[in-house]
Amino acid sequence: MIGTDPKTAHYPIDAERRDLIEEFRRSPKGPYSSELQKIVHRMRWSGEGGRFALMPVVPGKTWMLMLLPARRGDPIVPQPDQIFTSLEDAEWAVFKLRWKAITEHAIPEDLDTTP
Amino acid sequence: MIDSTSILAYASQLSVAPGDEIAFHIGSERVRETETSIVRVRCGDPDENGPGLKLIEMPSAIDGRTPIEPQPIHNGSYGTVEDTLVLPSLRSFTFGCYVYPTLIGSTIDQTVVSRWNGRDDAGWRLDIDTEGFAVLTVGHAGHLSQIRSPVPLLNREWIFLAVVVDQTSGAGLLEGSSLARDGGRDRRFSVSAVIPTSGGASPDTPLVFAARWSGFSAPQKLTSHHFNGKIDRPRLYQGTLEHAATLALVENLTPPATDPRLIAAWDFSQNIPSDEFVDLSANNLRGKVHELPARGSTGANWTGQIGSWTEAPSQYGAIHFHEDDLEDARWQQTCSMRIPENWRPGFYALRMRGEHDGRKIESFASFFVRPKRGRRTADVLVIAPTATYLAYANTHVRLDQSHFEVMADSLLIVSQDDVFLSAHREFGHSTYDTHLDGSGISYSSASRPILNMRPRANTFNYVNDTHLLDWLEENEFAYDVVTDEDMHRDGARLLRDYRVVITMSHPEYYSKEMFDALEAYQNHGGRHMYLGGNGFYWRIAFHPTKPGIIELRRGVTGLRSWEAEAGEGNLACTGEPSGLWRSNGRAPQRLVGVGFSAQVFDFSTFYRRLPDGLESDTAFVFEGVGADEPIGNFGLRLGGAAGLEIDRADHTLGSAPNIRILATADRTGAGGIPTPEELPVLYRGFTGEESSVARADMVLFSTAEGGAVFSVGSIAWCCALSHNQYENNVSQITRNVLRRFLSDAPL
Ligand SMILES: [Fe+2]
Repeated sequence: MIGTDPKTAHYPIDAERRDLIEEFRRSPKGPYSSELQKIVHRMRWSGEGGRFALMPVVPGKTWMLMLLPARRGDPIVPQPDQIFTSLEDAEWAVFKLRWKAITEHAIPEDLDTTP
Repeated sequence: MIDSTSILAYASQLSVAPGDEIAFHIGSERVRETETSIVRVRCGDPDENGPGLKLIEMPSAIDGRTPIEPQPIHNGSYGTVEDTLVLPSLRSFTFGCYVYPTLIGSTIDQTVVSRWNGRDDAGWRLDIDTEGFAVLTVGHAGHLSQIRSPVPLLNREWIFLAVVVDQTSGAGLLEGSSLARDGGRDRRFSVSAVIPTSGGASPDTPLVFAARWSGFSAPQKLTSHHFNGKIDRPRLYQGTLEHAATLALVENLTPPATDPRLIAAWDFSQNIPSDEFVDLSANNLRGKVHELPARGSTGANWTGQIGSWTEAPSQYGAIHFHEDDLEDARWQQTCSMRIPENWRPGFYALRMRGEHDGRKIESFASFFVRPKRGRRTADVLVIAPTATYLAYANTHVRLDQSHFEVMADSLLIVSQDDVFLSAHREFGHSTYDTHLDGSGISYSSASRPILNMRPRANTFNYVNDTHLLDWLEENEFAYDVVTDEDMHRDGARLLRDYRVVITMSHPEYYSKEMFDALEAYQNHGGRHMYLGGNGFYWRIAFHPTKPGIIELRRGVTGLRSWEAEAGEGNLACTGEPSGLWRSNGRAPQRLVGVGFSAQVFDFSTFYRRLPDGLESDTAFVFEGVGADEPIGNFGLRLGGAAGLEIDRADHTLGSAPNIRILATADRTGAGGIPTPEELPVLYRGFTGEESSVARADMVLFSTAEGGAVFSVGSIAWCCALSHNQYENNVSQITRNVLRRFLSDAPL
């Protein structure tokens, strides 16, 4: 049957590419360079590290991170310790989680700040 | 945040006229009282960057406090045969049918056929258990005898199943033979065991297909253990038959009715559009299906030589049942009122307020007020796209399918409605979703709370459409409203007296009757403003006898979240072909000049004028707009007026020879991705970054007898109207065209 398979996302991510981390940190909402775009596609398509979403807490002002279930019908799990006051901050937080999940390397400490 | 889900409701009908009675069905798991009132909806979008929520209080008899209670919803389709004469007295019988299971490995046992009463725990039933094994159960209160197949059945493979129950001798038999026997598909088996010689279901227990009878009465759930899959040509015979004889009985499309031992030979291939199914035996044990299973499904004898049940019904003797089918929530009516004579046509909603856990509850149930028949109150008619609202009703696709984040190239924003629906599957799904077994959901019903068709809902369709209402009110254009279903049932005569008909941000789902009505209107001097995108795309039907229900079969092309199974592209409720209008010989370009080209869910863009838009006879469109001004480089949906879903003109698809392509938005970037039917072959460089296939065209053409069409081909258009206090070129162009269309000036 027709369908889409997120497990097919396989663009390789080089954990040494500090420049790409810096680029994403500078402009989490894009537009991205073509190399970063492919990495972001992989992250958003495969959902490795978690299929995340945001739920507005105060519309247009604050958002809470939510974890979507891997299996249909299981609950959406709120992450109440992850509240953001900008969509950029939220994208950066999720990028860091996925970078670590895919490359098995945390974002280097000196880059792990919100600019 | 306001709690939008602790009280939910639906109206008895979506469309009412002044003087009509309307009832509301309200339910709550959490509170026992609500404050009800009616609002007229001007803008349903609370986003403070736009007009904001604008709801006008409409005092009525319904104002006040109303006691409410929890109201359950019972899902799952099934078939019943009521009989107190023949079935209860059967102590020795053979049953056979073809079965096509589609959810092997479910977490509960699924009953294919039964005469079982859950209250007495007695009778007989044929199940598929959680490991996929067929199980025959016979017995009563604690004395159960079970026969289990030695091999599990296969998902999506036909198997003939036969059971013999002989309570006179105490012999039971369960047999199966696979239709396909290659590649490990052969699951032939035969198992026998001793069964009890006494007991049986109480006489008032119906024979049930695809479920068991619970023994309870409404509002409790009547059935349990629903089966997911197809059942084809069930036969019931008195006495014990050999496997080959039972198979022959099933294979025979016209079993001998005069055989006195033939108890029933059910034929699901007759009366496909209805809820009735017939029995070919002399007993006439006809039955009924409940909660809209998919009829007109290919049987085990489908040859692949024909594509529709209308051509060879005998190959469509199967019904596909689903445990999550839903026709009607069947909630008790809570309150009702008569629509006051002086209420203007428009979008309305029942507002329900309350408080739970210190949080304010505010929830809505939508309905639409149309003018009384033949009593037009304005020159402009707005078509409320209720077929599209139904197609999208309670959609779970953003939650259940994983491509939305990469499609938007940004984190999904979910709402508390999404969180609620994700956990409360009983409210039913949209036609974008699939059933638990992966097959497409082809029906959608208005007889249930619809969370994304009301003020404060997620921003698509309903909420976007109210931006257009807000703009009409702001500019003091009087308008009438009718729904898609009104247009479907009443036809072109409903439109003919209006100077201008407006279709909204995304009128995607059209029946033949709706398409005909709009085309006839346009060709009879009518003037149509299509202010949306991806319109007139899928062919649906409103159910001929059940109000508020649409049916759709997605075809093998189009931007589709599922495909109808091979041979099942035609609607069960009318027999018509479904799928894309483009595949039905009426591409949207034929009706409105433009048709779906692409999705753009990352950034919206703007239009630029083309030579056709710089000529003197089209100058009225752009009065007050500079020739080089970008049009709509602003807006609430991703920053532009051209975005989300966009349409382009194409003469080969039916755009009129006299069409003027006034402007185009063709720089849609890497996120501008053409719809599959725009890609006949595969090539690189097809996105909006490198190609203008993914584009929105703004067009104008005259039809006949002074009629004309103006189309913008973009969902995002309406949500740009209010930019800069409504002073902007999207608003200006819309106003220019509407004024000219309302005037007597020829086009
Ligand atoms: Fe759509």
